[in-house]
Amino acid sequence: MAYMIQAEQLGKTVTTASGDLTILQDINLRVEKGESLAITGASGSGKSTLLGLLAGLDVPSQGRVLLAGENLGELDEEGRARVRAERVGFVFQSFQLLPGLTALENVMLPMELGGQKNAEARAKEYLAKVGLEARVHHYPPQLSGGEQQRVAIARAFACEPEILFADEPTGNLDSATGNTINDLLFGLNAEAGTTLVLITHEERLANRCARQVQLAAGELLISGAAAEL
Amino acid sequence: MLALRLLWRNWRSGEVKLLAIALALAVTVVSAIALFTDRLESTLLEQSNSLLGADRLITSNQRHQPEWQAEADSRNIDTSQVAHFASMVFAGDEMHLASIKAVAPRYPLRGYIDLSEQPFATSGPSVERATGIPPVGEVWVDSRLLPLLHISLGDSLQIGEHSLTASKVIVSEPDGSGPFSVMGARIMMNWADLAKTQVIQPGSRVEYQWLLASSPETLTDFITWLEPRLTEHEEIVGIENAQRRLQGTLKTGRRFLVLAAVMGVLLAGVAVALAARQFASRHVNQVALLKSLGVQAARIRFLYLAQLVSLSLLAAFVGLLIGFAVQELIAVAVHRLYQIEMAPARLQTFVLSLLSGPVALVGFALPSLWFLPTVAPIKVLRQDMPINTGAAVWQIAMACAVLILLVVVFGRDLVLGATVLVALLVVAALAALLAFGLLSLGKKAGSQAGSRWRLAIASIQRRRSASVLQVVVFATAVMLLLTLTIVRTSLIEEWQVKVPEDAPNHFVLNVAPAQVEPFKQLLDSNQLGVEQLYPMVRGRLTHINGELKPEDTLNREASLTWSDTLAADNEVVAGLWWDEWPASATGLAGVSVEVEVAGRLGIELGDTLTFSIGGLQAQAEVASFRTLEWESLQPNFYFIFQPGALDDYSPMYMTSVYLPPEQKSFINTLLSRYPTIVVIELDRIINQIRTIVSQVSDGVGLVLLMVLLGGCLVLVASVNGSINERKQEAGLLRALGASRSLITGGVWTEFAILGFAAGIIATIAAEALIIGLQIAVFEVPVQPHFVYWLATPVVTSLFVAAIGAFSCRHAVNTPPAVVLREAA
Ligand SMILES: Nc1ncnc2c1ncn2[C@@H]1O[C@H](COP(=O)(O)OP(=O)(O)OP(=O)(O)O)[C@@H](O)[C@H]1O
Ligand SMILES: [Mg+2]
Repeated sequence: MAYMIQAEQLGKTVTTASGDLTILQDINLRVEKGESLAITGASGSGKSTLLGLLAGLDVPSQGRVLLAGENLGELDEEGRARVRAERVGFVFQSFQLLPGLTALENVMLPMELGGQKNAEARAKEYLAKVGLEARVHHYPPQLSGGEQQRVAIARAFACEPEILFADEPTGNLDSATGNTINDLLFGLNAEAGTTLVLITHEERLANRCARQVQLAAGELLISGAAAEL
Repeated sequence: MLALRLLWRNWRSGEVKLLAIALALAVTVVSAIALFTDRLESTLLEQSNSLLGADRLITSNQRHQPEWQAEADSRNIDTSQVAHFASMVFAGDEMHLASIKAVAPRYPLRGYIDLSEQPFATSGPSVERATGIPPVGEVWVDSRLLPLLHISLGDSLQIGEHSLTASKVIVSEPDGSGPFSVMGARIMMNWADLAKTQVIQPGSRVEYQWLLASSPETLTDFITWLEPRLTEHEEIVGIENAQRRLQGTLKTGRRFLVLAAVMGVLLAGVAVALAARQFASRHVNQVALLKSLGVQAARIRFLYLAQLVSLSLLAAFVGLLIGFAVQELIAVAVHRLYQIEMAPARLQTFVLSLLSGPVALVGFALPSLWFLPTVAPIKVLRQDMPINTGAAVWQIAMACAVLILLVVVFGRDLVLGATVLVALLVVAALAALLAFGLLSLGKKAGSQAGSRWRLAIASIQRRRSASVLQVVVFATAVMLLLTLTIVRTSLIEEWQVKVPEDAPNHFVLNVAPAQVEPFKQLLDSNQLGVEQLYPMVRGRLTHINGELKPEDTLNREASLTWSDTLAADNEVVAGLWWDEWPASATGLAGVSVEVEVAGRLGIELGDTLTFSIGGLQAQAEVASFRTLEWESLQPNFYFIFQPGALDDYSPMYMTSVYLPPEQKSFINTLLSRYPTIVVIELDRIINQIRTIVSQVSDGVGLVLLMVLLGGCLVLVASVNGSINERKQEAGLLRALGASRSLITGGVWTEFAILGFAAGIIATIAAEALIIGLQIAVFEVPVQPHFVYWLATPVVTSLFVAAIGAFSCRHAVNTPPAVVLREAA
């Protein structure tokens, strides 16, 4: 027991104009609570697809996903949304900040939607943690890429999720900026004891995670310690 | 409240501004037109009511009951009273059987009395508006009374036992009464003087009128209360049985404004739909993000709905304010130009106008936003995921349904709405076809054309569906504009045709048979044209086929005439005119009946009608039905007999004459020579109708303005949708070395082409629509409008090019470096 994420016989096939395309097949994966896992692989190998399935953003064609003990396959779209709202946070390669909202409002948004009372104070606290206390009233287009990603990290951690999914969080940043972002991410993660699933193509970054798995042509190549455990 | 906070943030970032402006415009159009139409309608009704001097009147041969008065007072109904009677008036040796009207304070409740100190004045500085009723001891008189009695203003005249001073002449008064009932010259006196004259004795023929004015609902309630209390002596008179020709104008005017309103709303609706599409495309990512954050679809739908409904209410409020201001401007202008105080709009019109905001949202915006909550959360990870924006059929169906709803609520006219919708479908189909034709043509032409053309055609082709949409939208806007312009022009022209400058402007009644020849000679010697003289007897229809006629119609004496020629504006619609009619089998004379009255009485061809004429009976067989032009101001008759049929009933003759203004004093000559002749000054009625037509036409001017605005907004909105893409293209082109003038030229050319195509389609569609309207709604003959065929495509092309270039100016003018950085 006590696996935070458990994927069994996971497969994803989509129908395209030129016939069926199998993106993922026969994926088995377990992630323990508080563990950090890096998923690596070539472009187009299916990393983002796998992340989407694990986080319940999409539904698998075969197999099942258990997230914090809940079988996502037995939940409908609304149920999966509830699980995400309660347990999951995201950091995306393209930041996904709302351009019309200030940094503060972006961080507050998920808490407001969740009906939390002290949203503003918490948002300010987390923006301070990512070093942006001076920029809280700035809009995303006024911030640099690295600063935008900090806002996104603050937004993810402010909700205190149990699991954080990050899809190439530094993919759009230069390496120096990327390094500070990574430090921030791992620092906050360690502090909160969050389970982390990180997609990256950088070996150095993958190595900072407790465990690495590699995707190739839709199948999981086991590397490092026994992923199959 | 979260929704309001989100709305405020969206507003701040400008994402909902275009939508808000479009919604506000929709409401502005609806409210300006609805409020103005409402006011115009009330004003026209009031003006028509001013012909009665009240909204309703109760006529009787006795005064109204005190308890009725008390009831009316308790309901806050304005009341006044009038006594009509005929009496001999004297001045020295002269006398005249005058038509006297004693009026109580507050008369008239509707309309005005215009007076002058200059006899026979019809307009000009000498005419002033009365502020009350004649002072005690004074009378106001019809100008023609002065020559009849050989007196001037300031002289006194004797009514019964009382002597009064004629202080002013009446230029116009409410209830000038129908042209055929005024037999003697009018004298208006104060009710307080009535008793002193001692004219009214038991048994005298007096008609008392009790005048009522109030809001329609109050009046209807009161009439319901009053009706069971009335005896057979009392009759309720409303506008319906008063003046038909004004009603005709009112109906046409109303339909016209409704048509305009439909079009205005439609344009605004297109702008709303376009703005909504843009809003949707910008919010796809936002929704995906919200979903990844775990917000449920139902919650997202609620959040957006709450935002949009609040937005629509706010926009509606602003729109209503602007709409109110705009129509108020027109009302002020109307007041300044025509001295007509427009009636206030009803509360319900305000409420309905306000609601049109949310309704426009539901019909035009929501259908293209409905898919938003269904955006899959996986979109946050895969930008290229296609989204299902929902079936266009539903969006169109919804827009049509709302349009029909608006037409029914505001216009109460389905035929019109349906005509407009069908025309729109034609436009859409045509525009799509033509636009695709243009594209394939462009491919060939593009390779040979100059670089500016190549650029333009390439741009059109790249945005194939947007271009088609733009052509459809431009074509619709221009079609609406064109239709309104043409219909407006032809409406006014139609009136000018109907009331030509030298049309007869006076009716001459009561010409005795012996006076006919000398009368003609008198006219001739004054270089005045003589129209046909109609013999006329007053008679009452009593029986149809030997049975008593229905009681509810035609309860008064009608003017009967005979004639062998059919007047130019009469048309036989059933049966035969005298030249073809085989004499009746029973040997009865033939009679031709006005078709509407025949319908109401249930008369059929071949029926035998019995008339009572001065106590004698006359029978005739129905030979034909005729239509008449009530607006034509020619003598009109319900019943025209075969020539000679009424010879035995001592007819008097009537005709119409055209008197130029400088020859107005001819009336003096005529009346002093033949004191029994009655002259009705139609020019006053004509003036009144002209005023009404100008009012309607002012309303239309306003509408044209709104439609133009709507069209512009649509253009801007549709160009706005592609603005980012255009920015990047222009930046790229300039980075590759294209000159700014080439890009600007390309944009101008692109929109000029689209505008030209739209202009051609609009012309065709407008012609089709107008033909439909002319046949189905306005009932006027069909005419092509060649001037517009050439002008429309050219002007549209220029206009669209200008607006398009204006909308694209940022895309063209932004330095390439900035564009490329933003794009990265
Ligand atoms: N819904 C879909 N329809 C069609 N093809 C899809 C769909 N989802 C994913 N794919 C394809 O599946 C493959 C894997 O996609 P995925 O985004 O998971 O790769 P990735 O490993 O994240 O690549 P990258 O490193 O470039 O982000 C790609 O070739 C992609 O085009
Ligand atoms: Mg990816």
